[in-house]
Amino acid sequence: MIKSFWLKWSFLFKFRLFLGLILFIAVAFFLYLKIIPFGYITYSRDYTSKFNSGKGFIYGFTPAERVDLKSAEVPLMIGDPIYFSLFTPRTFDKAKMTIVYRDNLSLNKPLVEAGVLVDNTVWRYDLKPVDNKGLDYLMLTWHKIEENGRLFLQKNDNYSSLAEWEKDLASGELKDCAGGPGNCLAVYNYTPPYNYQMTNYRTAVPIAFDKPLRGAHQFYVYLKNEVLRLDMSFVDLNQGIKPAPIEIILSQNNKTITTRRLDDANLSPGSGLIEEKQILIEEKNLPAGVYKVEIKISDDVVIKKIISSVDRLAFINKVWPVSSNGELTLYTDADYLQVKALSPASLQDISFGGQEFNLNETYRQFDFKTSAIEKIKTIKLKKDDVILENNGVFAWAPSSLFNPSLPKVDRFFSVKTAAKYIVADYKKPSEEEGFKTATVEFDLKGAYREKGKYSFMISVPGLKIEDSAKDNLEIYEIKIELAGRTLWQKIWQ
Amino acid sequence: MAKDLAINMIIREIFYFLSIFLFVFIGLEMVWPNIILAYFNLNYLFLLCFLSGLVSLIKK
Repeated sequence: MIKSFWLKWSFLFKFRLFLGLILFIAVAFFLYLKIIPFGYITYSRDYTSKFNSGKGFIYGFTPAERVDLKSAEVPLMIGDPIYFSLFTPRTFDKAKMTIVYRDNLSLNKPLVEAGVLVDNTVWRYDLKPVDNKGLDYLMLTWHKIEENGRLFLQKNDNYSSLAEWEKDLASGELKDCAGGPGNCLAVYNYTPPYNYQMTNYRTAVPIAFDKPLRGAHQFYVYLKNEVLRLDMSFVDLNQGIKPAPIEIILSQNNKTITTRRLDDANLSPGSGLIEEKQILIEEKNLPAGVYKVEIKISDDVVIKKIISSVDRLAFINKVWPVSSNGELTLYTDADYLQVKALSPASLQDISFGGQEFNLNETYRQFDFKTSAIEKIKTIKLKKDDVILENNGVFAWAPSSLFNPSLPKVDRFFSVKTAAKYIVADYKKPSEEEGFKTATVEFDLKGAYREKGKYSFMISVPGLKIEDSAKDNLEIYEIKIELAGRTLWQKIWQ
Repeated sequence: MAKDLAINMIIREIFYFLSIFLFVFIGLEMVWPNIILAYFNLNYLFLLCFLSGLVSLIKK
């Protein structure tokens, strides 16, 4: 049969058949790589290799000024943060990133984190720990227990297991801990089952915050048998060309209670014509406790005014006051402040905790640390349009200030604090001849994907190009293992 | 003589094949961007196609 076939057809026909078969196999191979029918694939980039046959899947680091490509054979991260995109031919549910690096970072930059973009309106990345030298040090000096993938550290050996400690935490009575768990517990990448109780509670009074704030903000409110009414006014500046929707999310313990959304018809993009908008949130019969309000807006929108039924309202981590036309006084509970001015008109001397700090350059983030010992520090601004950030909370009045979140083992954490227990969801990276290998996992179901690309970030908080330190992070390899639904699951489920 | 003709034919067929290969890959790229380029630089294929076309012309 085969013999008669070979004899029957001409050499030209058989040669064409052979070449056609090669073409068919090549097309089928690339279609297989496009569909990924088994739902699992690994993409990697070895930065020591100079040969690349194609564009690859892991794109170059941006912004270019934060990466030194000339001084070494591999990219050196010299500024924080850096970003890279991952092209995927289809969507996936999970990503496991393995990063091989060598850190030449000083002790005041103990953190390395990696994240995936989950919200492109407020540019929020879901950050996961890569390296935490503070925890690495405490693992050697404190009593360490690893249980259910969590790291539990105790200054004194009070508990034999994490479960035993969690039982005491639920009852609010931890051993060797005066003043409640909030005073002796620190966390990292972990939220314990802990309910904040306000110690100096007083009946709430209605208040109007009429200091305009630009861009996305989040704040806590504390309720105790009170109605929550938030009447918020916004101004769409229409300076950008993209639509500027407004979304408000009210939540408690990461569970959404209600959301409000106001879409933007974007009738006059880039015109500079301002549009006023309003959103009202009214919730009765909410149980006592802390609630988080997230205002998701772009920088093209200003929160003009918030009329609140409760005055215990503290902004989380960041405020960007604008258009106040005068001096501003704010209060914070953190002893450091990151300040960035976006226009020369905003350069000034800032008073923080009674000390003067000079803000003398635009688009540069300044770190100001006060030695004030008061729990609440005053910030006095002569001009607005500066972005203020820290790991604490901000308020316009000392009476509004409260911070329900537990201290974090971040770059400002000190072992001299009152913390006696640390719980973290953290795994120390493995190290061999100075090369560290860390693995982090991301949930891609909620991740933002545009034009087939996921956006990733590598962050070393405090790493700056401008400072004189020669700190850097040498990145040798990034490997991303992706897992998602199989072709059969996509068809039949 | 017959051997030369056979070689010419093979070179011509390879040129046709590489041209079709290139157009199919470009078509796939247009429908699903990056399906090929992520793995393979089409410039190499274009170069091969060009060279085979050139050899085919010279031999003719």
